[in-house]
Amino acid sequence: MSFLQPLISGILTGGVYALAGIGMSLVFGVMNISNFAHGDLMMLGMYLAFFSFTLLHIDPYISLVLIIPIAFMFGYMMEKVFINRVIHHPHQNQILLTVGLGLIMSNTALLAFTSDPKILTTTYSSSAFNLFGDISVSVPLLLSFLITCLITVILYLFLSKTATGMALRATSQNREAAQLMGINVAKMSAIAFGIGTALAATAGALIAPTYYIHPLAGHSFLLKAFTICVLGGLGSVVGAGVGGIIIGVVEAMSSTYLSSDWKDVIVFVIFLAVLLFRPQGLFGKKGGQ
Amino acid sequence: MKNKFVSIVAGALLAFPLLAQAAPLKIGFINSITGKEAQIGENLTNGATMAIEDLKAKGIQVELIKEDDGGDPKNALAAYEKLVTRDGVIGVVGPYTSGCANVVASRADQYQVPLLVPAAAKEEITMKGYKNVFRLNAPANVYSKVLMDAVKAYKPKTIAYVYAATDFGVSTVKTAQENALKMGLREVANEKYQQGQPDYRSSLSKVKAANPDLVFLVSYDADAILLMRQAKEIGLTPKAFLGAGAGYTTAQFSQQTEISNLVVSATQWTDDVNWTGAADFGRRYKAKYAKEPSYHAACAYEAMRIMVETASRNNTSANLRAALKAGSWNGIFGPVKFASYGGFTNQNNHSMLVQQIQSGKYETVYPAQFSKKKLVYPFKR
Repeated sequence: MSFLQPLISGILTGGVYALAGIGMSLVFGVMNISNFAHGDLMMLGMYLAFFSFTLLHIDPYISLVLIIPIAFMFGYMMEKVFINRVIHHPHQNQILLTVGLGLIMSNTALLAFTSDPKILTTTYSSSAFNLFGDISVSVPLLLSFLITCLITVILYLFLSKTATGMALRATSQNREAAQLMGINVAKMSAIAFGIGTALAATAGALIAPTYYIHPLAGHSFLLKAFTICVLGGLGSVVGAGVGGIIIGVVEAMSSTYLSSDWKDVIVFVIFLAVLLFRPQGLFGKKGGQ
Repeated sequence: MKNKFVSIVAGALLAFPLLAQAAPLKIGFINSITGKEAQIGENLTNGATMAIEDLKAKGIQVELIKEDDGGDPKNALAAYEKLVTRDGVIGVVGPYTSGCANVVASRADQYQVPLLVPAAAKEEITMKGYKNVFRLNAPANVYSKVLMDAVKAYKPKTIAYVYAATDFGVSTVKTAQENALKMGLREVANEKYQQGQPDYRSSLSKVKAANPDLVFLVSYDADAILLMRQAKEIGLTPKAFLGAGAGYTTAQFSQQTEISNLVVSATQWTDDVNWTGAADFGRRYKAKYAKEPSYHAACAYEAMRIMVETASRNNTSANLRAALKAGSWNGIFGPVKFASYGGFTNQNNHSMLVQQIQSGKYETVYPAQFSKKKLVYPFKR
């Protein structure tokens, strides 16, 4: 079997992981908070995509136009009401708060939507095309990947070219100095959390047509997003992007050449090796957290 | 007037303890109400609830104490210990998953409270000679045996395994390998996967490259849909997909006709089988819960009925154990008897069924005496 098959499907799956990781990393960078509700925010994105498909008959990829602003507002409000109260508190308080918010979201979803997994079946859910004869490329996964790339480019331009984006990066680099320069860091935190939430929900919506939708589905992605963030360097958006792709490819390669039973072992061995030799992560700043 | 009221109240107070003593039958029920297996757990809850209602209609009152294990053996054991020590139940039905049931079974003899396992497949549960452990459903080796028997006539030569890294997955495949060896099938791929992953394409591509006649699958609920979707995507087309229970036997799976058509699966129960009351149970279940009953629902119904009926005539755990061991029943699950055979203790030698999804519907196709339709072989898209 060709070496390219696992490489391609790994890169495509990694793209969605990357999107989840980028959102988490951005929140960490700007606010210095590890958001353990990130997986549950992804789950909300999955349900939004599912209901806009079943009730409003909007294609899950097009429904992003609705999901992104809704999720942004949700995240923005969540930061204003809950998160900013613990922003100067010790890490364990922040972790407790975000874990708690996540539990409330997943259990509310469990009550509201029951534990029956929902399946979003579009006309292209299991379609694929062949590349170079024998390599099959999943159509929904490829679409997800292209949308991920597009969103990442937009995010990059936003962060590097706009005034708000630069203020966000300044807050990320040094919160106190940014405040002294006249940046409204409280607002920046809310914006960062809103963007983080929007990215999580987008990742959820993108994976919905090829995955199943369940109130606890976010949990397996939370661990991945966290691994990706640490691997790429906490707070580094580029690092999270690259980290996501690396995890996707490593998973695909190890299930092809070893056994899928071993893929988590390989992922975490690489993860530990990176922590050992480059504690700040692949793209992290030296001396950072 | 006031005196009359006082006397009524006093009378009621006196009568109350008597009433409370008249219904002391307490039975425990451990199930996966939350967690990864919650969807299947709900079917068990529904089945058990119907059993309790039917028994009530027959005049058998029971206090059912429900516990959730969340699919975690640790919680299941804690639930069992709570039921027998704090609540004082005389018998327990459950838990659902093999992992949970196996752990609880290992402690049942210590507490001497009978445990009736309704639907867990791991063989070990009834193979250790535990006196207080009874199992209604057929164990894992029968899943693979009945599936391979159903396709034996078509003389397949090679087989590949794709299965969840769970107790149920590993034990089912282990016995499937033994059965395959007896049939002279050659193993060409063996892919164990972690549940809940979004991407199984690499594993499935490996299976495709090995070009097997049979693909033997073991998965819980939604993973089954994911696997079959990705199998279609990469163009994996064996002569038959054999799905051992759980995820391949849900109504949701059969509705995904594009990917589920002609998938063969083993099941403990169908509603078109000619066992007493099976069809009626299916109809009433559909009317009550607005969905098809899975075999889990039937297992839970029958396990609960047997447990409560027997317990209502035997008010201590020791008597209940003796009565379960001696008794025999005939209901929606066919003839039931807890016997010792082939290394098993207190195991119901249940006859499993093979069904195939034909245009979105489960049709029983094997054994011939229970089926109306014929198996479609080979598989085609």
